[in-house]
Amino acid sequence: MMIREGLSNRILLWAITIAGLIVIYAPPLYLLAVSFNPALQPGLPRLSDLSVTWYAALPNDRALVGALQQSLMIATITAVLATGMSLMAALAYFELRAQRTAWFLTVILPMFVPGVIQGLALSAVFTRSGIKASSLTVIAGHLLWAMPFAFIVILTSFAAVRRSYLTAAADLGATWWRQFVDITLPLIRPGLISAFIFSFLLSLNEFTRAFYLAGRQNTLPVVLFGKMNSGASPVIYAMSGAIFLVSVACVALASLHFMLRRN
Amino acid sequence: MAISIQIDRVSREYGPVKALDDVTLDIKAGEFFTLLGSSGCGKSSLLKLIGGFDRQTSGRVAFDGKDVGNLPANKRPVNTVFQSLALFPHMSVAQNVGYGLRLKGLSGASLDSRINDALDLVELSGFGPRDVNLLSGGQRQRVALARALVMEPGILLLDEPLTGLDERLRQQMRDEFGRLHKRTGATFILVTHNQDEALSLSDRMAVMHKGRIEQVDAPACFFEMPANAFVARFVGIDTLLRPEKVVSNAGQTVATVGGQTLAVRTQGVVDAAASVIAIRPDRLFLAPQGAPHALTLTVVETTFRGLHRDLKLAFSDGQSLVIAIEADTDIGRLSAGQQVAVGLKPDAAVLISSAGLPPAG
Repeated sequence: MMIREGLSNRILLWAITIAGLIVIYAPPLYLLAVSFNPALQPGLPRLSDLSVTWYAALPNDRALVGALQQSLMIATITAVLATGMSLMAALAYFELRAQRTAWFLTVILPMFVPGVIQGLALSAVFTRSGIKASSLTVIAGHLLWAMPFAFIVILTSFAAVRRSYLTAAADLGATWWRQFVDITLPLIRPGLISAFIFSFLLSLNEFTRAFYLAGRQNTLPVVLFGKMNSGASPVIYAMSGAIFLVSVACVALASLHFMLRRN
Repeated sequence: MAISIQIDRVSREYGPVKALDDVTLDIKAGEFFTLLGSSGCGKSSLLKLIGGFDRQTSGRVAFDGKDVGNLPANKRPVNTVFQSLALFPHMSVAQNVGYGLRLKGLSGASLDSRINDALDLVELSGFGPRDVNLLSGGQRQRVALARALVMEPGILLLDEPLTGLDERLRQQMRDEFGRLHKRTGATFILVTHNQDEALSLSDRMAVMHKGRIEQVDAPACFFEMPANAFVARFVGIDTLLRPEKVVSNAGQTVATVGGQTLAVRTQGVVDAAASVIAIRPDRLFLAPQGAPHALTLTVVETTFRGLHRDLKLAFSDGQSLVIAIEADTDIGRLSAGQQVAVGLKPDAAVLISSAGLPPAG
């Protein structure tokens, strides 16, 4: 049974909720509105002025499209590698007994190293050892950044895997590998999916490490930052708006999927 | 099909703790054998060694005479019903039951028919497509049983399988185990701390204590001749009297307690100082005053126990015994301090080792 709060409490709760939502969503919505303004100066468009000029110009902006492709490619590879490596790190965590805590701290340590320092350090090491800056160096940097998060997410999902399930599977004749495939993997699948999405977004967003490590082709955040400072065309707002709209569409599709499955 | 088990001088040590201390045990093929003991007595450790989930520190475990020390759990002809059941939460009832067979490479119609047979056996026909997480406790228990039995194991291990069920379900599942044992003919090994379960199901049972086996026998023998005071207590013989002296004469042994003598059955050498007299409450009766060989005791208290009444009676030295009498027996009013005569049926008193009893204070 729900407890009905008093009227004043309810008003207060709603006010805080709405204020919070505004703080979170107003800036991206403002950006979205700006992207539909045909004027060169960024600002809220009048309703009669709404246009998709900048969106139409978007595919022709080679620099932005190239940066987007680069970012998506790096984010996908980072997410695949981070998820796979974190899964193995998590399995190692459960095999180790006494040294668990040490292993846990070792894996999550890069999370606490500031991006500026890590980017600089990696860049210095790569230069020193003659490795040229490229997509691979960015992926290396992003992997260090995303893997601790993916590791924690996957580790949490391992709570669903009780020792007794694996013992029971062994009792029924399963080898280590079959126990892993038939019992462990299906039970931690939600964790693997979350870890993948999380790493993908962390990489897509990342600026500082990419700034140090990128080769000829910069990633999207770096390019957007550069373009904003040089006062370039409002196509960057269209790019931001497009990414925002795609994210919203993804979340909406996912919720729709879960709602349909529940019914 | 059924497999015999030989446990030969097996110990399992966890650092300084001995979970199993030099255990030797032979379990016959097709037997319903129970390991009985309170928690921490080593019964589960022994079960783990048989199942292959753990390895002994020393000694030898063999099936049908063949050493299985190097055989991992997934290769042993043993299946287990776990205390936690450990049903796979992401699989349906049929998938759970069929998992072991699928690993063996069965599929299609033959797999389905084996699964259905197993579900029929535990009276869960038609439950195949259900979600295991939505079943009742008793149904989950049956799924766990079916999952083990479908493998047609030579040895079935039951690890406290009835813990956590309510009393009615307990009775029901207990009958089920007996029925399935007859149907399958496999060697069943039950681990439990519940003596009722052990007594009603087992062909033979072992009482364990601190990593050692105190006694291995058919259930009835535990009452005829408990090995020592610990075993007597464990199976519910609570009346243990310390004799003042014990005299053996021409095959008859007579013990003295509180100045009164009673005939006792003995086994082997008698050492009065290290012995106690175990008295079976069901072989005592209230005798008419002055009957020959009757004990004269003082009433301490009576306790109403539903279908019977417990009558607590004391010897002159303060030691006491309890008689169960039918609740509606007309014995008149018994008040504390009153003297009554108590007769002993043959074999009511047995002289046993006092091992397991705290030393007299």
